[in-house]
Amino acid sequence: MSYQFDFVAVFDYSSVLLAGTAHTLLLTTVGAVAGLGIGILGAVSRAWQIKPFDRIFAVYVELIRNTPFLIQLFFIYFGLPSLGFRLDEWQAAILAVIINLGAYTTEIVRAGIEATPRGQIEAAESLAMTRPQIFRHVVLPPALAKVWPAICSQMVIVMLGTSVCSQIAAEELTFAANFIQSRNFRAFETYFIVTVIYFVLAVAVRQLLTQAGLRLLGRRAR
Amino acid sequence: MNEIALSAIIRNLLEGAAWTLGLSLTAFVLGGIAGLILLFARIAKNPLPRRLAQAYIEVFQGTPLLMQLFIIFFGGSLIGLEVSPWIAAALGLTLFTSAYLGEIWRGCVESVPKGQWEASASLALTHVEQMRHVILPQALRIAIAPTVGFSVQVVKGTAVTSIIGFVELTKTGSMLANATFQPFLVFGLVALGYFALCYPLSAYSRVLERKIHGSRAH
Amino acid sequence: MALVHIDALHKHFGSNHVLKGIDLDIEEGQVIALIGRSGSGKSTLLRTINGLESFDEGRIEVDGERIHPHETDLRALRQKVGMVFQQFNLFPHLSAGQNVMLATRIVKKMPEQDAVDLAKAMLLKVGLQDKFDAYPDQLSGGQQQRVAIARALAMQPRVLLCDEITSALDPELVNEVLAVVRNLAAEGITLIMVTHEMRFAREVGDKLVFMYQGRIHESGDPQTLFANPQTPELASFIGSIN
Repeated sequence: MSYQFDFVAVFDYSSVLLAGTAHTLLLTTVGAVAGLGIGILGAVSRAWQIKPFDRIFAVYVELIRNTPFLIQLFFIYFGLPSLGFRLDEWQAAILAVIINLGAYTTEIVRAGIEATPRGQIEAAESLAMTRPQIFRHVVLPPALAKVWPAICSQMVIVMLGTSVCSQIAAEELTFAANFIQSRNFRAFETYFIVTVIYFVLAVAVRQLLTQAGLRLLGRRAR
Repeated sequence: MNEIALSAIIRNLLEGAAWTLGLSLTAFVLGGIAGLILLFARIAKNPLPRRLAQAYIEVFQGTPLLMQLFIIFFGGSLIGLEVSPWIAAALGLTLFTSAYLGEIWRGCVESVPKGQWEASASLALTHVEQMRHVILPQALRIAIAPTVGFSVQVVKGTAVTSIIGFVELTKTGSMLANATFQPFLVFGLVALGYFALCYPLSAYSRVLERKIHGSRAH
Repeated sequence: MALVHIDALHKHFGSNHVLKGIDLDIEEGQVIALIGRSGSGKSTLLRTINGLESFDEGRIEVDGERIHPHETDLRALRQKVGMVFQQFNLFPHLSAGQNVMLATRIVKKMPEQDAVDLAKAMLLKVGLQDKFDAYPDQLSGGQQQRVAIARALAMQPRVLLCDEITSALDPELVNEVLAVVRNLAAEGITLIMVTHEMRFAREVGDKLVFMYQGRIHESGDPQTLFANPQTPELASFIGSIN
């Protein structure tokens, strides 16, 4: 007997899919904005050796980049309560995404900052600009523009990575898939559709970020 | 119930770590072979293999590893194959690895300056001879550091296979955390285990990177 | 029959008509200096002669080897046409000797020992006989360019194309490369060179070709043209260079 595919059984739950998609996007957006902020702070501390933050960020980056996101999530959600930090599944998921993305953007932005030609800074210094002014106007914009494609890629990777947040019952897109297939017993069709949704999201988010980069950072961010 | 000794926890975690390592090696080697095929498809003169390889890479880089694992797991049983968690994990991670390595290596081939192609073309080398004698030797050198760097992503990726029930380091950790009610300790140790596997690779890749930038080109 | 025969050659880059009907005959042993402003089409013309650029209309013949527009099998042609590039383009993973031997070994299938002997002879010709085992990054720009010349000569081409071969060099290294080229010219090797070295073009060139907006605007004996440009464009070009 051959298997009859039934994709309609998935779309019966389209409102669940929609809610899951919205939550995945929300998680990604909050993570991206806050993560980028941390990344810029971290990158400045590292590149300009602002003590003691350069050391702290160095350790943070190594810890996060050398452990799986899933473990970071478990540690925050299951482990931290032993220290009296009790977070609900959303707080834990958002915190984990921010921490994770912050570490990657620190490294990416740092590479951009360190690629600033020495002469640019000397030119700015000779114009009597202060260090913060130099950073804000001369160093950061071209640095961000240069590494924007790498930042976009990382944000897409993190968005796809949020699918494991279903493991702490954060009700994002993969959680929605798990829920639906437990009701309609159509595991393959459900996961297939959800995979397609993720793919569309990945393409759309990448486009959106690229466009935003062009808008905010100029032509070089491509 | 809090009586499971620390030594027992560590012993169990080490066993899990061995499976993590085994899965990582399997995926890296098989994914490397598949990635090489993808690379050649991606830089072929014929547009058909080029587009197929590009589509493959986009799909695997544009969807969550967890979904890829679910689809292999449940798709296999649809066509009557009993897919064990080990098989699903190894296959899924191999496909995932091949997509990334294929793309990384293509970048390396493309970063060989255009002048190298032109100079070798002007010496009457064929496309295959150009690849074999001029382009690939240079691309290989460039590729070593990012390839080692990517191996870290493979090791971390194995954690996701715990979700389809493959008992490696993360799954062992979850089970121990439930049994011991000491999640802070257990997940701390698990994180330490991953760090011990990944950090040397990250550090080595950085050393290689510096070597390439700082040294001569041969 | 001319060694290189170019007939009604046209090329477009998109909507940009870069070569607008080039006719040029080059005799065996001639040294041709192609001059003109950047964008005049001189480098493009040079690169069509060994097929690095395709063209849209017209034809090129080198020693009886005809290139059609959009030809893809250029092996036979390229064995007759050598090229030296502005950026040297030595293979960085190979020593100077290996650079020179690569094509003779794998294209001409020369036995190892013969290829080594030939490579040594070619390096001697450019004054680098003691650099056989040096890698490109151990050589100065001028030395790299001389190795690149040796590499092209090892294929024993009928004609050698030189694309601004001194433009990427520090001023003090220009002369050692020009000296090599002068010797080649004296040996009777057919040379087509795009160059900004006007004095050199005048001294060594048998024929000067001035390109302007995709056409050969003026050509002839270098001494005469420099002394007596016939068109205001060439006069102004010469004026701007000196």
